[in-house]
Amino acid sequence: MIIVKGLSKRFTEEKGLFDLNFEVQKGEVFGYIGPNGAGKSTTIRHLMGFMKPDSGHSSIDGMDCWNNAARIQEQTGYLPGEIVFLEGMTGLGFLSLVQKMRKQTSTKRRDELIERFQLDVKAPIRKMSKGMKQKVGIIAAFMHEPQVLILDEPTSGLDPLMQRVFIDLILEEKQNNKTILMSSHSFQEIERTCDSAGIIKDGKLVALEDMHRLRTVQRRVFEVKVKSENDMNTILHSNLDTEVKGERTVHVTVQGNDQEFLQLLSGCEVQHIDTRPQDLEDIFMHYYDRREVTK
Amino acid sequence: MSLPLFLAMMKSHGKLIAGFIYGAAAYIVLIIWIYPSIADMKGFNDMIAALPEGMRKLIGMENGINSLSDYVAGEFYGMLFLIILMVYVILTSTRVMARLIDQGSMAYMLATPNSRVKVAITQAAVLLTGLALIVGFTTLSGIAASEWLIQGYQLDIPSFIRMNVLTFLIFSTIAGYCFFISSVSNDEKKALGISAGITLLFYMLNMAGKLSEKTEWMLNFSIFKWYDPVKLINNEMDAIWIGCSLSISTFLLFMVSVIVFKNRNLPL
Repeated sequence: MIIVKGLSKRFTEEKGLFDLNFEVQKGEVFGYIGPNGAGKSTTIRHLMGFMKPDSGHSSIDGMDCWNNAARIQEQTGYLPGEIVFLEGMTGLGFLSLVQKMRKQTSTKRRDELIERFQLDVKAPIRKMSKGMKQKVGIIAAFMHEPQVLILDEPTSGLDPLMQRVFIDLILEEKQNNKTILMSSHSFQEIERTCDSAGIIKDGKLVALEDMHRLRTVQRRVFEVKVKSENDMNTILHSNLDTEVKGERTVHVTVQGNDQEFLQLLSGCEVQHIDTRPQDLEDIFMHYYDRREVTK
Repeated sequence: MSLPLFLAMMKSHGKLIAGFIYGAAAYIVLIIWIYPSIADMKGFNDMIAALPEGMRKLIGMENGINSLSDYVAGEFYGMLFLIILMVYVILTSTRVMARLIDQGSMAYMLATPNSRVKVAITQAAVLLTGLALIVGFTTLSGIAASEWLIQGYQLDIPSFIRMNVLTFLIFSTIAGYCFFISSVSNDEKKALGISAGITLLFYMLNMAGKLSEKTEWMLNFSIFKWYDPVKLINNEMDAIWIGCSLSISTFLLFMVSVIVFKNRNLPL
């Protein structure tokens, strides 16, 4: 459904997109992951026809993203990464303007989504918080029941409850055979919804994997506190990657060998276990390392 | 053109446009109202004649005040109205394109099945409709005031209307290049600065050109060469020819803007 082929756009020697290739099948949810400034939004701008590639091309449903930008929008919903609406409008005013510009008359889906996200549509947009604006943006992207959804960091600004509502919405759309591309820097969000993911860094795609494979290379660090020095030694002498962090406290890095880790812990008396919050660099160290090597 | 977008934009620019209409209409009514007392004042024209020629040209009173039409053209169209329209055109042309690109709300319009060409034409229509409304209401207020507010002095209505049409066309042309700058800019402030800079330069060249014979050549570099309200209302300029060339240049400027906007990269 979405095809990106040899897409290149050079801003400077270092910045831009360099020979990007990936494909999203119909009915598939594709996660697009990378640190800030890696080129996620730039790729999406190409898909939306805001930018003309230097070479290569991208297409949605067989239509070229640059030449057929307006026609593609009939079947596409878009959520920009940075949400700014027209000035001096209420949430509802804005949504109905978008509907009219789409020549859409049914408000059923729109009202359903407003209900679902508990949005106060009468509030003027300039008085809305970031999360509320994000909800308006999400509703604008979903309300015409598009076949393709392009979402740039969709959950930023949403509270955990609304993130759940959003993830449920994505899963529901997936059931309806919609094609979804969403960018994110949160692995958790991608993990719960996506079938496959592309990882981008410095404008180059460093990995294109299905979700199952990604989980096995994902590194997680657990902080384990055990009851006795004996248990401590058992852990330190195992095959796992460990690091002593304090008295009877150890950091264990797990990468695909969850089973082994669990079996090891079952032999110990664990007082406390916690996962350390991690950044993207951490999670995809595997890929980033590999890139460093090829350099 | 997208009608829903046009209406929404007109609504959001409505207050600004209404403000300009109010200012311009109130002022033209006021100066027409006080005309009888100036015209009756003995020695006014002698006083004007005593001024240096360049100065007289600048304030639009080359030949003193001989009629109501002269007076309105010189005092209002040559000065305050010119400034009102300059401010409106520069501000609005920046707002309808560069601001939306800079802030990113243009993304939402282009995320609907409306092409860039359609969106840009709609925005241009908003700009020109506002200009037409301001000039139109001012024309009507001028005619109404001269008919009902004062007695004994006649405004040459056909000439007055013709002058207004040309005023609209000259500012459409200015709107044309401002719109072009706005369409190619990513930065709202930069677009505003460049548009205002060019227009003020034209205005200053116009002033300098009128000051003396030695500086007259400067007029040739100013778009305001085509805008001389006193001559216009006295039929001393070839209105049809000027009108046609202004219409064509307006059309070309907007067309080029739309084409460039269609093919540019947008940082949305």
